[in-house]
Amino acid sequence: MSASRPGADAAPGREAPLAAGLEGACETCCRHSWLLRELTVPLDYCSRDPARLMDALALEQGDLLAALGGRRREELAERLLGFARERLTPPAGVEALCRHDPRFPPALLAPCAPHLLFLTGAVARLQRLVAAPVVAILGSPRASDYGVEMARAIARGLAAAGVTVASALADPLSAAAQTGVRELAGASIAVSGDGPRAAAPARWRSLQAHVRDAGCLIWELPGDARGRRFGAIAAQLTLAELAAVSVVVEARERPADLAGAMLARARGRPLAAVPGRVTSPLSAGPHALLAGGAALARGAHDVLELLPVGPPQGATACEEPRAALPPRLRALLERVCAGSDTAERLCAGGDGDPAEVLLGLSELELMGLLGRGSAGRYLPRG
Amino acid sequence: MALARARHAVVYPARFMLLAATNPCPCGFAGEDDRCGCSEAELSRHRRRLSGPLLDRIDICAGLSRASACSSSGKPLTSSSLARERVRDARERQATRLEAEGISLNAHMDVACMGRHLQLDARAEELIRDAGERGMLSARGQQRVLRVARTIADLRGGRRLRGSDVGAALALRPEAAMGPREPA
Repeated sequence: MSASRPGADAAPGREAPLAAGLEGACETCCRHSWLLRELTVPLDYCSRDPARLMDALALEQGDLLAALGGRRREELAERLLGFARERLTPPAGVEALCRHDPRFPPALLAPCAPHLLFLTGAVARLQRLVAAPVVAILGSPRASDYGVEMARAIARGLAAAGVTVASALADPLSAAAQTGVRELAGASIAVSGDGPRAAAPARWRSLQAHVRDAGCLIWELPGDARGRRFGAIAAQLTLAELAAVSVVVEARERPADLAGAMLARARGRPLAAVPGRVTSPLSAGPHALLAGGAALARGAHDVLELLPVGPPQGATACEEPRAALPPRLRALLERVCAGSDTAERLCAGGDGDPAEVLLGLSELELMGLLGRGSAGRYLPRG
Repeated sequence: MALARARHAVVYPARFMLLAATNPCPCGFAGEDDRCGCSEAELSRHRRRLSGPLLDRIDICAGLSRASACSSSGKPLTSSSLARERVRDARERQATRLEAEGISLNAHMDVACMGRHLQLDARAEELIRDAGERGMLSARGQQRVLRVARTIADLRGGRRLRGSDVGAALALRPEAAMGPREPA
C-alpha cells in the first residue's frame, strides 16, 4: 500500500470549469468512477472472490477496461474519450472528493480503495470524524436478534467513548450499529455501495437522514448506480481500510461475508470478532476469525483495548450508567443479562415480587438500558 | 363508532373487549433458545403485520413461553376461583368509585373523568412524565397506561396509583407501542 498521494502535484483536468459539488474531484477519478459504474456486472462476478475483486479495483482505467470490458471494451473506450465529468454532478448537499485532493482521508489511499467518494456533511466533517479513532462494525447481510443487539450495544459503547463508528447502512446489523450511535446523539460514518441518487430502502431512510445530518454518509458509485453484490463488498473493503479496528459481529464463513475482515488482517490491523452460539451458522465467521487469532470482543470495552492509540478520553463513559444504578435495578439488569430475559422468567419460582419486577423493567427501559425483543424478551443495551 | 362518508354520518354502538393471540415469529419458536431459525428480517416482517397505530390501541400485551413439563406439574400460583374473586372485588371498587359518573369500569373513563379519579403518587407521575418525554408513549398511550395502572391498583385494593402500578402498566404495553424499535 502506498501512503503517498498519487499525482498530487499534477492532477489532470483540475483547471476545467467546476460543476457544483465536483470541486474536489479530478477528471481522472471521475472517469474511473464512471467506468466502475459501467462495469458493475463484471465486478459483481469478480465479487465471488474478494481477493480478485481487490485486484480488479486496484487496476488503472486502461487495464480495468481491458480486464473486465469484454465485448463492450471498444464501446466503453469510445464513451470514455467523450466523457465529461459534469455527468457525475452529485445531488444538492453532496460533495465529490477524489484521492488527488489533499483533504482525501489518507487511510483510503490504498490502490483498491475508492478513487472518488461522494459524501454528505461537508469534507471538513469527514476530516474531523476520521481524525478520531475509527472502528468499523462488519457483518453479514443476514443477522439474528442477538447480532443486532450486539452491534447496537458495541456501537453505543464506542460512541460513548468518543470513537467514530463506521458501518454500512444496508442491512439490519449495520443499521443497528448506526442506531446505537444515534441513541447517544453521536456522529458516525456510513458507507453505501450505491450511488447518491439511488433511493435508499424506506426502512433505513430515517437513519440515513440522521447520519447525513450528524455524521458523514459516503457513496462509492456515482449517480443512481446500484452496487449490488459488488457494492456491498466494496463498502466492506472501504470500511476495513478506513478503520483502525474492525469488529465482525455476525457473519457466515464465506469470503463475501468476511471480505472486510480479510482485508484488515492483510493490512495487519487489529481485528476483533464477537462470539456467538457454536450451532449458529451466523457465528461461524466470527468463530473462524477467533480461531485464526482475532481478538475476542464481548463488548465495547474489549474493542477499545485494541485501539493502537489506546482508548480516547472518557472511554469508560459507557460503563457509568450501570455503575450509578440502585442495587435492586443493578441486580435485575444482571439477571436479564444472565438470560432471565422475560418477566415470566424473572418471576419464576417466586424469585421476585411481580409488581417490583415489572416496575424495575420499566425503569430500566426508560433509562435506555433495556430494550424490547421478540416474544416478550428484554435485551440489554449500552 | 362514527362513520362519516360524503353527506352522511352514522353512529353505531361499539364497545367491545378484544382478545387476540399471535405467534411470536414465523416459525413459532422465538424466545426458546436455539429452536427459532428466523432471521432479524423475518422477525421484523412478522412484527410489521400488526401496525403501530393498531398496537397503540391495545392495552396489555403478554409474552407467553411454552409450558415446560416442570412448570405444568408444579403448584399453580393461583386458582381460577381466587382470580375470579380478585377480579370481582376490583370491579366492585371501580363501580363504587365511578357510580357518580354513570359508568362502572375504568376502561370507560374519559380524560376529564380520569383527572377526577386518578391520584398518582410522585413516583407514578415521574414515570409517566419520563415515558412521555422519551417519546415512548403517545397521548393515547398515556391514557391507556393510566387506565391499566388504575385497574392494577384496584386489584391490590389501593386508592392511589403507586409507581409500581404505573411501572407494571408500562411493562405490559405492546413492544411496538413503546416508541420506535429500530432496526425493524
